[in-house]
Amino acid sequence: MNQQELSDRLSEINDKLIDTQQPLDDRIFLLCESKNSYAVNKFLFEQLSLRFVIATGIDSDDCFEVLYHYAYDQLGYIITLRAFIRDRENPAVESITPFLPGAEWIEREIHDLLGIEFRNHPNMRRLILADDWPEGVYPLRKACPLDKLGASSERSEGTKK
Amino acid sequence: MNWKIWSLKKSIWVFHVNAGACNNCDIEIVNLLTPKFDVERFGIKLVGSPRHADALLVTGVGTRQAVIRVREVYRQIPKPCVVFLIGACACGTGIFHKGYHVAGPLDKIIREVDPNAIIAYVPGCPPKPEAMISGVVKALSAI
Repeated sequence: MNQQELSDRLSEINDKLIDTQQPLDDRIFLLCESKNSYAVNKFLFEQLSLRFVIATGIDSDDCFEVLYHYAYDQLGYIITLRAFIRDRENPAVESITPFLPGAEWIEREIHDLLGIEFRNHPNMRRLILADDWPEGVYPLRKACPLDKLGASSERSEGTKK
Repeated sequence: MNWKIWSLKKSIWVFHVNAGACNNCDIEIVNLLTPKFDVERFGIKLVGSPRHADALLVTGVGTRQAVIRVREVYRQIPKPCVVFLIGACACGTGIFHKGYHVAGPLDKIIREVDPNAIIAYVPGCPPKPEAMISGVVKALSAI
């Protein structure tokens, strides 16, 4: 696939996307709602045979985002799918692990740190937080009271007295 | 001099615990055993069990998950023993200060188990092998 063929193939899923941005020649952002992310991911991985690099989660101001980063190595492109999760109370998105096993751990990590539910994930156990970490506390959320969690904060309070 | 302290200062056997380090300090510790520094000529060597150790070498910040194990390892070392905190993280949580996963600082964790623990600090990110040797010499001449 050359550059033109790639953008032609990407335009096949335009109806599922909100917007497509290309800030640099080799950097493409595809923006979609969370309900379409499974279908778009499946298209990118199975139809375009892109290489899945990693996913990231963000606590944005009015929504959560899960960003799926793909690489197209023949052209050196990085293609990122940004899935917006508007429900801040119970954020959930369809898991891509059933067709892309390499995403299993990163989805578990995002679930640990941001509390985003990945529906139909085959093995949604705790991955990186400590065993005694309280349920329902997600340390990378902006609203999380971090200074109340770490024990090192007790020391700095102690030195103030 | 107390005979226990006298015997402690000969041929220190060391048990190494990684309490959430980035592996940089650990590499420098292994460097101590290479031919360039070769601390084994002083009888200092790494052992596989805390029950055989005279000194505990702790690297890393002391994460929530790891401090439980650090306490248990410290309990299993025959006393008296010396604790060496290697690196900026172990000495005072370093850049991870107030991190959500941090249960340290490690000197506080160890003093919870034993208020009279002998603790030596070797700061640096990572500390040079020379600094670690210097720390060992200073700690042994102080006790």
